[in-house]
Amino acid sequence: MSSVKKKVIIIGGGTGGAMLANRLPRDEFEVTIIDRQPYNYFWPWLLYIAFRGSRRPIKREIRSVLKHWVNFIQSDVRVINLKDKYVELESGKRLDYDYVVIATGATVDYSRVPGLDKVTEMYGNYHSNEENAWRVWQTLNSMREGTLAVILAPGAYRCPPSPLEGTFLAEEFFRRRGLRDKVRIVFATFYPRPYPAEPINELIEPLLKERGIDYITFYTLDHIDPEKRVAYSMEGEELKFDAAIVIPPHVGVDIKYVPDDVLDSDRFVQADKFTNMIKGFDDAFVIGDASALPVAKTGVTAHLQADVVARILQGEDAHNTGRTNCPFDVGYGLGTFVISDFNNSTIKYPINRINHLFKVAFAAAYWDIILYPELWDSIFEAYFEATEPAKLRYLYR
Amino acid sequence: MVMSQGNKILVDARGIACPGPITEVVKAYRNAKNGDVIEIWATDPGFEPDIKAWIQRTGNQLLDLRKEPDKIVAVIRVTAKK
Repeated sequence: MSSVKKKVIIIGGGTGGAMLANRLPRDEFEVTIIDRQPYNYFWPWLLYIAFRGSRRPIKREIRSVLKHWVNFIQSDVRVINLKDKYVELESGKRLDYDYVVIATGATVDYSRVPGLDKVTEMYGNYHSNEENAWRVWQTLNSMREGTLAVILAPGAYRCPPSPLEGTFLAEEFFRRRGLRDKVRIVFATFYPRPYPAEPINELIEPLLKERGIDYITFYTLDHIDPEKRVAYSMEGEELKFDAAIVIPPHVGVDIKYVPDDVLDSDRFVQADKFTNMIKGFDDAFVIGDASALPVAKTGVTAHLQADVVARILQGEDAHNTGRTNCPFDVGYGLGTFVISDFNNSTIKYPINRINHLFKVAFAAAYWDIILYPELWDSIFEAYFEATEPAKLRYLYR
Repeated sequence: MVMSQGNKILVDARGIACPGPITEVVKAYRNAKNGDVIEIWATDPGFEPDIKAWIQRTGNQLLDLRKEPDKIVAVIRVTAKK
């Protein structure tokens, strides 16, 4: 073993960045995480703030979820220079590295849909921050009648099931309040079917019908008139609403890259889907939502990619399988999971109570899983093995 | 990956599983103007019925839809943007 530790810079202290940092052995690596703000967020819980009014905290100091030997710098990053191997902080200070890992996540861009900033201010959303999620809760509580529209704007977004999870939880909310017959709920999506993957859609579409939720497919949101309360599609359709919750277009964060052609048109970083290596560089990686890879923007992806990159940095021949395992809350304490990998399309995984309990149990353990991956690995390995899509596809067709 | 040349836009969605190709089409559509031509390459078998349904629903024009040995090619003229 070399006596000189390899310097690893991880930009972003979210799920992927923190998990990766905690996996790298301290005797081989000197690891530094840089993040613009001091907190690690459990973003999936925005759903329960928005639709259940949950007061459970969703953030913790990044420092508190890192092993004590991991360095943490709170700063904006101005430049990531992959050619000359340095990261420039807001102060102008340059840090060099042996390896750099981009784990900056995704951010939302309201400017891509005219009127969206105003609509968000009025009704909130559950894909950006706590404040907007609380606004959704206020929107639900102030509605007594009319149309609630949940609209998926075209483009990338975090958590594939989340638009429909919100729709189902809104339906449950109004039914429990005795207002279901006075509030129409309509879900609009640019995809050909309510849930884009057909096997899961076979479970979801009948459920939408059963609960009296209207839906519009191939609806490509173009702009919204907040005063008239109308959302217009590129196809010229007009969707009238009394309140609208829009899943905003997501983009990569605003950092200058050298070279800048590693970014796609939405500022996501292009990489190899098996190794997460940034195109053209063998010492630079991207994990989680920041990547342009055709994989779900979801915590489980970041978790599994962090594991693979940690092993590659230690000299192993590791690669991603493309595994997803996204919990999908359909309301009334019921749920399913969206399970697939690069070789197997999504499984028609039955809806039941246990799946929902798994989702809640995971939320309770989230920060512990980040801080002690070595203790949780065997549990996850057993779970992922038991739910391999190659096996499940024979059980659930 | 999207490449633009004049009023022709090429969308390479090969190797992306459903719903990736239709997402790429919508991304290109978002930035296109009426009269533009979008050519999409995909390998996912679900793309063919999806693009047919998309054309039917959106009222744009399908100029060509063919299977080549290594890909499905769809060529669309944008005509229905409001």
